[in-house]
Amino acid sequence: MPRRSLERRPRTAVAVTVLLFAWLYLPILAVTLFSFNDKKSLSAFSGFSLRWYHDLAHDQALLESLVASLQIATLATLGSLVLGTMLALGLERVRSRRGRVIGAVTLLPLVTPEIVTGVAALLLFTGIGLKLSLTTVVLAEITFSIAYVTVIVRGRLAGLSTEVEEAARDLGCTPWQALRLVTLPALVPALLGAGLLVFALVFDDFVLAFFTTGVDPQPLPVRVYSSIRFGVSPAINAIGTLMLLVSALLIVAALVLLRLFGRGTSSLELITGGERR
Amino acid sequence: MVALGPAPAPRRSAQRTWLWGALLAVPTAWMVAFFVISMVIVVLLPFGRTTNDGFPVFSTSLDNYRALWNDVYLELFVRSVLYALATVVLSALIAYPTAYAIALHGGRYKNALIAAVVVPFFASYLIRMYAWKALLSDDGLVNSGLRGSGLGDGIAFLNTPWAVIGGLVYGFVVFMILPIYASLERLDVSLVEAGKDLYHGPVRTFFSVTLPATRYGLYGGALLVFLPALGDFVSAQLLGGAGTYMMGNLVQQQFNEGQNWPLGSAMTVGMMAALTALMVAYLRATSTQARET
Amino acid sequence: MTATTTASKPLSRAGTPSVSLRGLTKVFGGTTVVDHLDLDVAGGEFFSLLGPSGCGKTTTLRMIAGFSDPTDGSVLVGGEDVTSTPPHKRDVNTVFQSYALFEHLDVRGNVGFGLRRKGLDRRTLDRRVSEMLELVELADKGREKPSRLSGGQRQRVALARALINEPKVLLLDEPLAALDLQLRHAMQAELKALQREVGITFLFVTHDQDEALSMSDRVAIMNNGVLEQCGTPEDVYERPTSVFAAGFIGTSNLMSGVWSHGSVVVAPSVAIPAPAHHGSAEGDTVSVAVRPEKIWLGDHTDEMFRLPGTIEATTYHGATTRYRVAIAPGLALTVLEQNLPRMRAEDRWDPGDRVEVGWLPEHTVVLT
Ligand SMILES: Nc1ncnc2c1ncn2[C@@H]1O[C@H](COP(=O)(O)OP(=O)(O)OP(=O)(O)O)[C@@H](O)[C@H]1O
Ligand SMILES: [Mg+2]
Repeated sequence: MPRRSLERRPRTAVAVTVLLFAWLYLPILAVTLFSFNDKKSLSAFSGFSLRWYHDLAHDQALLESLVASLQIATLATLGSLVLGTMLALGLERVRSRRGRVIGAVTLLPLVTPEIVTGVAALLLFTGIGLKLSLTTVVLAEITFSIAYVTVIVRGRLAGLSTEVEEAARDLGCTPWQALRLVTLPALVPALLGAGLLVFALVFDDFVLAFFTTGVDPQPLPVRVYSSIRFGVSPAINAIGTLMLLVSALLIVAALVLLRLFGRGTSSLELITGGERR
Repeated sequence: MVALGPAPAPRRSAQRTWLWGALLAVPTAWMVAFFVISMVIVVLLPFGRTTNDGFPVFSTSLDNYRALWNDVYLELFVRSVLYALATVVLSALIAYPTAYAIALHGGRYKNALIAAVVVPFFASYLIRMYAWKALLSDDGLVNSGLRGSGLGDGIAFLNTPWAVIGGLVYGFVVFMILPIYASLERLDVSLVEAGKDLYHGPVRTFFSVTLPATRYGLYGGALLVFLPALGDFVSAQLLGGAGTYMMGNLVQQQFNEGQNWPLGSAMTVGMMAALTALMVAYLRATSTQARET
Repeated sequence: MTATTTASKPLSRAGTPSVSLRGLTKVFGGTTVVDHLDLDVAGGEFFSLLGPSGCGKTTTLRMIAGFSDPTDGSVLVGGEDVTSTPPHKRDVNTVFQSYALFEHLDVRGNVGFGLRRKGLDRRTLDRRVSEMLELVELADKGREKPSRLSGGQRQRVALARALINEPKVLLLDEPLAALDLQLRHAMQAELKALQREVGITFLFVTHDQDEALSMSDRVAIMNNGVLEQCGTPEDVYERPTSVFAAGFIGTSNLMSGVWSHGSVVVAPSVAIPAPAHHGSAEGDTVSVAVRPEKIWLGDHTDEMFRLPGTIEATTYHGATTRYRVAIAPGLALTVLEQNLPRMRAEDRWDPGDRVEVGWLPEHTVVLT
């Protein structure tokens, strides 16, 4: 009996998928591979070596940038976790028209091109006389990341029975105690997932950092960008490989924590900020 | 039944608490201070000018907004929109089959496959752009491969519109894949089965049943790709040249090289206006469609 | 305490009632969900709130616990008006229908949660938690996370977590609804025994009439936000006061007719003698109800009211046999007969048999 066509594999679609994966991973793999090349060539692999990584380890300016980026990512993650969680809780519990307006406004950064956010932040900081520095980068990154945390935490809050918080109130908790002792512990996986995600995004973020950073030390992506503009080099391959590795690991950890795999795509959409109801 | 007093005194709610209001107030204040106000400045600064010693000051002139109406800028504006649209179309052509194959034929590897798409996309946009550039550069892997196999002296990929658009697709196609994938996941397979009986043949069924049923995923994806593509300046900077510059590059130049911030703000506002118009059109289209169905 | 029937006089137990509702009303966007509820639950009483789905039981409990503000009326706990007291200051605890256990705490953490809020010292706390776990037979599960417990065990954790605080009243919102039938029956007995042991007032919500009748000292029947009847299980079963109550609890043969000379005429040939019913006069239309198991077939004693009839249908139910007996054109009674030890299959009536039905006059209930 001939199989129904729905069950037959659509050959074109599968071919496109295979090509997409090749296109997606080939450049990345090439970068990784040539970061281990012992010659400067980016097209002929002549032998394995760690010389480019060795060079990195002795590039003082680059190491400073790395430290700066780690600091930015850590502070921005903590800041946006606190503010984003407060916002998520407030929006879930204060269900007024004003709440909905606030909710919409806070999600705007997700649909604003980064260059606009970056320009706006730059103007604001210079306007109020803040000297551009790592601090200004952190402030801008927090503003940008709050929405991610809020969306993820709200998703988890919505799945949490309100009865659990009521049970805590019933057993003698003030609203604040109920929040601290019962609701927040239940949010821990979502907070960890959101934190990892924000860390990875901020650590890698170029555009906002580019507009809001001072001169020295520059965040890692900004420094890498200026090197890339002058051409490709094995040293950039090496730092690129490391950056890809770090953020890929963080993202995978975030995905696992948020249990995206179990609950289908709705939570994936949360990450992209797409298709919210 | 207990008689109710003539005018029962207003009672205090047992639910009264300042907690949620306070929780809402702090981040709202933050967003107003760092986002809303900054956006207001972007809109207002174009009315200002740059002083002789290079400082932007507020004023009431329309010069900067008027300066946008200029052949050079308009050409760039049109080019950016065209690039972004091309990016959307190409992304859709790539994303739909991919999402379709994974959602309907991925079996138990579905989640792993979609994760394999997502993870690199969220890992360093900049490095992926760099990788793409390294691959296409004159002494990169592709060209040396072409030369090695005797297929000519290689092709100058970089500095062409297609390199820039390719970079944009490479950067943002995931935003198209995810919503389409989600809408395909929700697709009712029995609908497709019914379509088969009605329309005969998988191709006609696809265009009359599957595609319309997943159009919201497609629309959402289009928006999510269009937004960052229109504002991008990295792709044109790394993969293109002056001939392929987009609005983002112009804005970036005004702020980093030209140092004419009021003009740069005017360009930013122009970009936002274009985006807002498209967003509104999109929202109206989807909401009327939703009402019809 | 013991289950007594004195509860038919609600306040006879002396002292203030545990919970009093005064004109309690809740309106949700124009719909009155709870309508001027007046209720007194005595101390130590096992009181059930019984009603169909959506009649406002949960809403009532939530107002007592303080999770929802009444639109009107007031709630008194231990004689004190708590209508505007926040939930954490009310001497009331709740067993939620979903149990609402704290998944991040182990069983001991859950059970000791309320006492820890009260600032008890560690020693006393540990001892009290152990005692409570002993009481609900979970002593060996103290360190388990709730997610690893069975449904019945989770239910008992929820119960222990609330009971340990020794509230003036314990609110239970369909606590057994999520359990399967067998476990449910076991838990009914356990819950009742536990309530006697600790002597705390239980306000128990259910839509299961068996549960309400077998466990409660008193039952309140609610319908559409209105209190239909309140009394001992026997009261509400034997002497329902409304058509709704008679129909909701058990099955009843409901007939409507007209008052005439101390009888209710339900069919031209059938006049059922009924006790005088205040508020109803000669010529008024009323309803009368007779429980199927109160009706006898065949040999009757003289005090019974008797009627001739014809068997229409016979259904065998194992322990009982159910008959439909036509007593007038278009009017049939359901009769439930126990299958007693000496009865044999051939002793059952068959369709078409002419029989005589009868019941004691006091089993005729006049309803409004
Ligand atoms: N927050 C609310 N907003 C609007 N209507 C509500 C709300 N809570 C309950 N209702 C309505 O009030 C009515 C009574 O609800 P309630 O939960 O008290 O019923 P119940 O007697 O507990 O039913 P069940 O046996 O199904 O639990 C229902 O019609 C319900 O739809
Ligand atoms: Mg209920």
